[in-house]
Amino acid sequence: MPATVERVRRKRGRRPAVGDTGALAAIGQSKATPYLFSTPAIVAITAVLAFPVLYGVWQGFYRPEVLGAPAEWVGLQNYVDTFSDPDFSNALYRTAIYAVSSMLLATALGLFFSFALYRAIGRARFLRSVTLAPYLISSVAAAVMFRILFNGQFGLINVALAWIGIDGPDWFADPTWAMAVVVFTQVWTDLPLTILLLLGGLMTIDRSYLDAALVDGARGWQRARHVMIPMLTPQLLISTIWLSYSTVTGLGIVLPLTGGGPQGSTNTLAMEIYLTAFQELNFHEGLAIATFVIVLNAMLTLTYIRVARRYESAV
Amino acid sequence: MASTPQVATGGAAVPSATADARTAAPRRLVRAALLAVPLLALALWTAIPFLVTISVSLKTRGEVFGNFGLLPHNPTLNAYREVIADPAFRRAFLNSVVIGVGTSLLTLTLAVPAAYAFARMRFRGRHLILLFVLLPRLVPDVGTMVPLYKMAAAANLIDNPLSLIIAYSGMLLPLAVWLMAGFFQQIPVEIEESASVDGATLWQRIRYLVLPLAAPAMITVFVLAVREAWNEFTLVLVLTSSAEGRTLPYALFLMGHGGISNYPASAAFALITLVPFLLVYTRIERHVVASLTSGSSK
Repeated sequence: MPATVERVRRKRGRRPAVGDTGALAAIGQSKATPYLFSTPAIVAITAVLAFPVLYGVWQGFYRPEVLGAPAEWVGLQNYVDTFSDPDFSNALYRTAIYAVSSMLLATALGLFFSFALYRAIGRARFLRSVTLAPYLISSVAAAVMFRILFNGQFGLINVALAWIGIDGPDWFADPTWAMAVVVFTQVWTDLPLTILLLLGGLMTIDRSYLDAALVDGARGWQRARHVMIPMLTPQLLISTIWLSYSTVTGLGIVLPLTGGGPQGSTNTLAMEIYLTAFQELNFHEGLAIATFVIVLNAMLTLTYIRVARRYESAV
Repeated sequence: MASTPQVATGGAAVPSATADARTAAPRRLVRAALLAVPLLALALWTAIPFLVTISVSLKTRGEVFGNFGLLPHNPTLNAYREVIADPAFRRAFLNSVVIGVGTSLLTLTLAVPAAYAFARMRFRGRHLILLFVLLPRLVPDVGTMVPLYKMAAAANLIDNPLSLIIAYSGMLLPLAVWLMAGFFQQIPVEIEESASVDGATLWQRIRYLVLPLAAPAMITVFVLAVREAWNEFTLVLVLTSSAEGRTLPYALFLMGHGGISNYPASAAFALITLVPFLLVYTRIERHVVASLTSGSSK
């Protein structure tokens, strides 16, 4: 099987990366032209992304001005305060649950549904564009919809559970179930992207290799497990990076859905930044948590890339 | 949708077709079911939250708690009338449109020249500059929300649509430049070279050759920008402080969290906000596909 994968991978080829230019020998341009062309974008990115991040990191080392006393450099004090705050460790723990469950559920469902759509290719076009809808709506609208769906009194979920004789929980009042609803809503909104990515990956797999695996006697599940999933590594990587990003740093689902409650059970790191900075008005400690989240997200992304590389070279 | 699939019966079966006929039909049914069930599940998974919301939006506030069924007894559009009459909704709608258009225009204006430079020109430091443009894609919005709030407050731009237009454009630029540069590279260099031999200037080549050919990429960036402005929640939450500046997601959020929940109105609001974008998207998706398939390079 590994040999098949290797052959397919070689055959698939690569699109030219944005790095290697189809050099258009300097016609009608001076030496300054490319710099002039890229400067506006660089200025905008600096103003909105690079500068705020650096400014935030720098301000995270300061104590705010109190009663007219000027702001003061306090070194790592904000970080010490943050890391010793039980709310922070709670948020870290909740974020881990949120991220891992969402990634597992979305990847499992994404593989299942993309295989189903792949087998129905050409016949499920309408379904494919409908599937995208949850990805196109705002997270607040999704939260409103799921607050209705999971409402303890009249929500369809509990009505359906009652119909089969189960007394459904009051989802948003129970710490465990509230997190389950948050994960479910997150997966619902992110699944279209996962499906789209994986389906795109499946389409690039050369059919002849699947047929070769079939001749080798591989049944449906074996082909999926040993040929298709390994060849989907790049798409799985992108989808994992995205799911991790949107759960580790996302505020859009949690805040309108549960506001972090009940009893802090869905209080993720993003919520903790928002509450610390904009409810407690402790901007500098909020910035310390934000810096932590930026670094955490970058490290997780690098880890996924590493693991995917090792997996690819191991197959 | 999940219509009956035409399952190939396998080439070897041809000689003994009559003998196979009895077993082939049930097998075909099982195969069709194996294909249809997951697709049906996907359709239900996607549709149920929408159906439930539509159902609640057509009920009265009392009926929501009295009739748990999907079908309202006396369907009413009162919730929609209530939302549309609400000045906060109207203002938020207007803001969302203004910010959406502004964001897409600014993003395209900034992304096109940069993408062209990265795709077509060699210059010192281009890899470093490209890295600088692409890497911020990793920066989460909660990482910049506090500094951006401080900056907007210092510049007196809270509640000013300009602050959101600039913020959204900056956030979209890494992806926009990446998409457009990739697309520009697929346009054969020879087209531009022969045009410049004929005396076309750089500006003319971009205006009359590259941009028309890159229409699908530009439409994609346009859709992404409108989607961002229409749906974004984290930054509008901190960069606006009154109904003057809020966009639809923020107004919807406040509606669900202002004391007693008016479920039909919240549902109607949510549905009204997603309809315009879905309409724009479905129109444009067809256009994107069409312009991609109509063979731009001869």
